[in-house]
Amino acid sequence: MTERPDSFFIGWAPPPRRLRGFLIAVVLGLLALFALTSYLTAATQDDPGDGAFRFDWGRETVVGVLQAEPYPVLHVLESERFGQGQALMLSGFGKRGVQDRGDPLDGKVVEASGVALKRGALDMLQVRGGAEGLGPLEGREAPLPPVVSLGRWRITGEICDGKCYAGAMRPGQGLAHKACANLCLIGGVPPVFVATDDIEGQRFFLLADAEGGAVTEAILDQTATLVEIEGEVTRRGALFVFNIDPQTIRLAQ
Amino acid sequence: MSVKYIPVQWVPTKYVYDAVLLVCVAVYILVFLRLGTPAADFTRPVDGAILRMRAFGTCAFLMLTLILCIGPLAQLDRRFLPLLYNRRHFGVLTALVALTHAVYVLNWYYAFSPTPPLEALFYSNTSFGQFLGFPFEAFGIFALVVLGILAATSHDFWLAFLSAPVWKRLHLLIYPAYLAVVAHILLGYLQDTKNPTFALIAGAGALGVAGLHLAAWARRPEKQASQEDWVEVPHWREIADGRARIVSLGGDERAAVFRGGQKLSAVSNACAHQNGPLGEGRIIDGCITCPWHGFQYRPGDGCSPPPFTEKIPTYRLKLDGERLFIDRNGYPPGTAVEPLAIPEGALR
Repeated sequence: MTERPDSFFIGWAPPPRRLRGFLIAVVLGLLALFALTSYLTAATQDDPGDGAFRFDWGRETVVGVLQAEPYPVLHVLESERFGQGQALMLSGFGKRGVQDRGDPLDGKVVEASGVALKRGALDMLQVRGGAEGLGPLEGREAPLPPVVSLGRWRITGEICDGKCYAGAMRPGQGLAHKACANLCLIGGVPPVFVATDDIEGQRFFLLADAEGGAVTEAILDQTATLVEIEGEVTRRGALFVFNIDPQTIRLAQ
Repeated sequence: MSVKYIPVQWVPTKYVYDAVLLVCVAVYILVFLRLGTPAADFTRPVDGAILRMRAFGTCAFLMLTLILCIGPLAQLDRRFLPLLYNRRHFGVLTALVALTHAVYVLNWYYAFSPTPPLEALFYSNTSFGQFLGFPFEAFGIFALVVLGILAATSHDFWLAFLSAPVWKRLHLLIYPAYLAVVAHILLGYLQDTKNPTFALIAGAGALGVAGLHLAAWARRPEKQASQEDWVEVPHWREIADGRARIVSLGGDERAAVFRGGQKLSAVSNACAHQNGPLGEGRIIDGCITCPWHGFQYRPGDGCSPPPFTEKIPTYRLKLDGERLFIDRNGYPPGTAVEPLAIPEGALR
C-alpha cells in the first residue's frame, strides 16, 4: 500500500494523515451534537402535574354510598383520609373499571378498600379485588345525595381517562397518551372532562350522556384533544357531572 | 472486499466507527436521563418508562436525520466520505434504538389492559378520519418495519442476491420511512408538548436533510443530450493523474474516464458493490478504488485483482485532434480495452 498524497479515504486502509484532524473534529462535533440535543430535549419536557398514586398514604378503607351510574362513585360517609360527603371515583387494577362489581351495589352503603390517587381536587380509589375491595356493609342504609342541575353549558377542555389523569401515569393526558386513555376507557375507567377554566368553581367533571348513563363508546374519537362540548352540568353531593350530547363535540379553535 | 460472505468484514476503521456510534448513543441516553430530565421543571417526576421511550425515540430521530445527511454531505465535501463507509452499521444501530423506543411504548401505554398489547396497538385508536388525534403510532410502525427490513437486508449477501440496483431501490425506502417518522413526531409528541424546543430541533433536522439533498442535487452532472455513438469528454486535459472525469452517456448511464500516468481508460461509473461513484475515486496501487467501500478494479479490463471477482463494464476511447471521445456502447463487464496513450505535450 503506497502512502496516499491527498486525503482520499479507503475504508480498509488507515485514514490518510491529512484527514485525521478533520475526522477527530467530526467525532467531537457529533458527541457535542448528541449531548446538546439530548439535554435541550429532556430539560424542556412539560410538567406532568401533581397527580400520583398515594402509596405513601397506605391502604385506604372508606365507607360510603355507592352510585353505579354513569360510572361507580363512592360518596364518603366515614374515612380517616377523606371528608364526609367527598366523592371518590372508583377503578380496578390496571386499565379496568369496577362497573360489574358496582352495579349490584347501586345506592347501598359499601366498604371500599384500596390505594388512592389524587390530582388537585380529583380523587380516585383503585379498589382491591374481591369483596374485601368493594363489598356491602350489611345493616346500614344512607341516601344518595340529590341531583341538582347547574344549567346548560358549552365548555372547552379535554376528555381524559380519570385514572391516568389522576396520576396513574405521568403525564396521563395529551395526544401521545390517547391510545392509553382509550384503552382505559374501554376497560371501564371513568372518563373525566378537564375544563380549561373553572366552571362553578370546578375544573373536573365526570362525563355522562344526556340521560346520565355511560358515554364511553361515543367519545373515543375525541379523547386527548382540546374540544368544546354542550351539555347540562349537574351536581350530586360533591360530584360534578357533565351530561353531554356527543353530537355537539367540536374541536376547539 | 471479500471472496466469501462473513457476518462482518471487520477492519480497524469499522471498530472505531462503531465505537463512536455506541458512545454517541450512550451519551444521548445518559444526558437525557441523568442531566436533562433533572433540570426540567416537574411538580412530580415523569414516569421512568415514558422518559426512556422519549430518550430512545428522539435519539433514533437524530440518528436517522444524520444518516440521511451523510450522502449529500459526502457529495458536497469529499472529506465526509469516511462517514459513508460504515453507514450500514449506523442504520442497524438506529433500527435497534427505534425498536427499544417501541418496546417501551408497547410495555407501558399498551400494558395493564385486558387486551393483549399487540392487539391493543391496532385497536385502541382508530380515528383515521381526523388530523388531530390521528393514530400517529401507525407512522411509527411503518418506519420501524422499514428500518427492520433495511437492517436485515444490509449485508453484502443481500446486495449480491438482489443485485445492486434492486438493493439500492429497496434501501431508498429510507426516505418514506423518514417522512413517516416526521409525521409520527408531528402528530404525536409535538401536539402534546407546550415547550417549542423539540419542535425547533426536529424542524431544523428535517430542513437540514431537505436542504442538503437539494444542494447535492443542484451539483449533479449534466445529462448528455446527444444520441451519437461517440460522446465527447469535456476538459479531459484537466484530469489529474490517478483521478477521473465523469461523463454522462445518456439516460442514467455514466462512465468514468481515468488517467493513470500518460494513459486514459474508461470504465462504468457504477461500482459493482453498491453502485458507488467510481469516478470520484482514485487510482491506488494501479487499481481504480471506489470512494465508498474501497472496492478496486484494474483500469485496463474492469476486473478486481485476484482473488476478488467483481467486474465492471469498460469503454473505448479515441482522440480526434485535440478532442477526446468515448463510445457510449460499453463492453461487457471485465472486457479488456487497451488504454489510450496521451500524445506528448497534450496535457497542460
